[in-house]
Amino acid sequence: MKLPRKLALAASALAGVHFAALAAGFLAPYGPTEQSRAWPYAPPTRLHFFDEEGHVHLRPFVYPLADDETRAGGYREDRSQRFPIRFLVRSPATLGGPGEGWRLFGVDEPARVFLLGTDGFGRDQLSRLLHGARISLFAGLLATGISLGLGWVLGTVAGFYGRWTDTLLMRAADVFLALPWLYLLFAVRAVLPLHLSADQAFLMLVLVIGLVDWARPARLVRGLVLSARERNYVLAARGFGASDLYLVRRHIAPQTFGVLLTQAALLVPQYILAEVTLSFLGLGVAEPVPSWGNMLAALQRYHVLSSYWWMWAPGLALVPVFLSYSALSEALHSRVGPASP
Amino acid sequence: MSDEPLVTIRGLTKRYRRRAAASSAPVEALAGVDLTIERGRVLALVGESGSGKSTLARCLVRLEEPTSGEIHYEGTEVCSLRGEALRAFRERVQLLFQDSAAALSPRLTASEIVSEPLEILGRGDAAQRRRRALELMETVGLSSAEADRRPLDLSGGQRQRLAIARALALKPRLLILDEAFAGLDASIQAQVAAVLQDLRRREGLTYLCISHDLALMSVFADEVAILFEGRIVERAEAARLFAAPAHPHTRALVAAVLSVPPLAEATATS
Amino acid sequence: MARLARRALHGLFVLFGVSVLSFVLVELAPGDFYAEMRLDPRISEATVRALRARHGLDRPLPERYLRWVASLARGELGYSFAYGTPVAPLLWPRLRNTLLLTGTATAAAWALAIPIGVWWASARGPAVRRSLSVLMATLLAIPDILLALALLLLAVRTGWFPAGGMTSVGYEQLSRAARFRDVVSHLVLPASALVLCVLPALTRHVRASMASTLEAPFVQAARGHGIPEWRVVFGHALPAAANPLVSLFGLSVATLTSMSLLVEIVMSWPGLGPLLLEAILARDFHLVLGLVLASTVLLLAGNVLADVLLLAADPRIRAEET
Repeated sequence: MKLPRKLALAASALAGVHFAALAAGFLAPYGPTEQSRAWPYAPPTRLHFFDEEGHVHLRPFVYPLADDETRAGGYREDRSQRFPIRFLVRSPATLGGPGEGWRLFGVDEPARVFLLGTDGFGRDQLSRLLHGARISLFAGLLATGISLGLGWVLGTVAGFYGRWTDTLLMRAADVFLALPWLYLLFAVRAVLPLHLSADQAFLMLVLVIGLVDWARPARLVRGLVLSARERNYVLAARGFGASDLYLVRRHIAPQTFGVLLTQAALLVPQYILAEVTLSFLGLGVAEPVPSWGNMLAALQRYHVLSSYWWMWAPGLALVPVFLSYSALSEALHSRVGPASP
Repeated sequence: MSDEPLVTIRGLTKRYRRRAAASSAPVEALAGVDLTIERGRVLALVGESGSGKSTLARCLVRLEEPTSGEIHYEGTEVCSLRGEALRAFRERVQLLFQDSAAALSPRLTASEIVSEPLEILGRGDAAQRRRRALELMETVGLSSAEADRRPLDLSGGQRQRLAIARALALKPRLLILDEAFAGLDASIQAQVAAVLQDLRRREGLTYLCISHDLALMSVFADEVAILFEGRIVERAEAARLFAAPAHPHTRALVAAVLSVPPLAEATATS
Repeated sequence: MARLARRALHGLFVLFGVSVLSFVLVELAPGDFYAEMRLDPRISEATVRALRARHGLDRPLPERYLRWVASLARGELGYSFAYGTPVAPLLWPRLRNTLLLTGTATAAAWALAIPIGVWWASARGPAVRRSLSVLMATLLAIPDILLALALLLLAVRTGWFPAGGMTSVGYEQLSRAARFRDVVSHLVLPASALVLCVLPALTRHVRASMASTLEAPFVQAARGHGIPEWRVVFGHALPAAANPLVSLFGLSVATLTSMSLLVEIVMSWPGLGPLLLEAILARDFHLVLGLVLASTVLLLAGNVLADVLLLAADPRIRAEET
């Protein structure tokens, strides 16, 4: 059947990406802030299996970069030397790097293996992409947790107790929903200090994105709780003297979990995009710590936008992530039922 | 057995505000009901839909609060009970809901459903509760094979009996059956009626049986009270009421019944 | 009519709630505009205090809120410290530009979504349906930021469209017709970015709504009467399918307004967005407040429009009113 296979594919793609992000320190050949000042905007290093004489090498190798005299700022491959890729290298502590440790692959000095090129500071884009994934992907996940958590609590309280509590909460929800989401996000961001350390910025992003969007999940949960509350078996349990907490825990809450899961698959990509947008505009995680958002900010300059295609990598990386979440949400939707009001 | 009625209801009134149109007058579901329920007997409360029967039942078990009036159970005023006293009262009086499928959580197994009241009140551990659940199920004629099945896998009659078993978990004295026979085939009705009668005799229970089916009540109940537009308009021994109805509404109800159902022969109590 | 009045009242209430929320939010900000000034040793403490007092920044919260509401009544919306003028005059041109962009994008998005959605729903062969499905799914997965940047690249590389801004240099010297053309040429890319972002979701909904309507008995009956297919689809099925779509209209306005924030900034379209970013970076809170309110007004206006459309489209609701 097509559905489980697509679901399995999406789930494994997501798992792979998240694992890669967590293992960034090992998978990335360079540190995220490690600069090679000699090589700004270097194009992706090509891996070769055939050398100049036409011999095959089983282990791929690279040619070191040299300046191209014919074009300003251009590079060419120096074919006089070959540097094979080494696997499981032990890298020394470098300036701007994460310190001594094992790396999956690397090359000897003075060659470089920039599989996705470098940016204006000569920083390896692949390494930054992997480290940046930590921030962008997990900010989305954590913010979703907060948003759904808060929305669930408020929605359950509103639906269960009804009347004044319900009216009050739903009116508050109306107010929050009346604001265009991104504008509200910006407004909240505006009142917080502009300059934050990377850790503070990450925490701030997660909290702001998560707390601002409670209204939609709350509404959904409230609707479910309202209908569940009137079921006869809930009334029967009440007739036995069940406490409110028992009723919620045993009978009402389980009804809401399916919808929460479907919502999660919809919200995570939205929140990842929120982090990317905020960091892109300088309101999120700041340099030099990489996030896919602030990496994309380089594209705001026209010459980078049109000449250095590898700088698009963080943006392009979002597409398979979103596709996977989309497939996931469709699969959940068909199993669980409608998620959006 | 004392002569005091088990339950005395005086002047029970319940008014609802209609939500749809803002300007209409409130609906009076109960308009001053006076009723007594005698110990160890079966009292049927018959009325058409909308006459306020379910409202009365819910007020009796404190699932709803009446607008005014009093309910006394064994001398204690029910509507003002709180906390521990309310909990104790809830063990004495149990309500059996109309739609058994809706009254049983589809997620729980049969034994979990039956032992839920014990779980709520924290009586005994899991093993003890399961044993008690199986005992109760046996009482209503359900085998232990059904214990791990879910309500939707059971037949209507089995579900109804399961609901009865659950209601018995806390050893109530008074059972309120809200349309316990509605929607069941005649043979299933006979089954359920037999179980109920048997239980009553063995445990010395009292039943308040709410129904719109006058014919069925005339054979199942000892006494019948007619509820019309929120008031009790007539009350008499079952057979007499059927044979010689006094109130015009009762007469209309009796006339609507085409014949005495064959159930009469199957479950006639003598 | 009564329904519209009720909705308008609800909208006003919500606007009030939004203003209070935003105001409180802004007040929670650590420090105000003059906090930066205090760090400058050349400006004396007394001057800062005097400045704050002049703008009423040292008054208690409820009083400040009322003063702000009063300035609202005067048409000022508070004072922008960064620009040194009341907020309102800064907002109007920006609001107009955002309205232009969002309005055009909404109209274009629906103008495309309906025919595509209808085609998708009524197409016979599975090939059309499959390819549209894949196309829309892919488009949905491309984030708006990527689309905006890609369109910008298109402009830079090909020169077919101006790469940002709303008007060219020397705009004032142009004739009216030329000015109109100039703005339109600048409008194309940002509007396209917005349309492409929102199109997948809209077409999907149109398709879903049409698909279920096309199964309905009255449609089969119309076909049975020999009415040509296109007439059946557009004359009979579409009006019946319109109801949920009109509710979607309000939602699409909300999404588009939100997305326009980013698109405006990336493409330098002089709307509310870029000004908001500047205001945040300059810590100009009254301006932030005014901008957030302006965007809310846009959204609420869109919802009211959706309601009017719903009233016009669905005879059942009109009957309910009478």
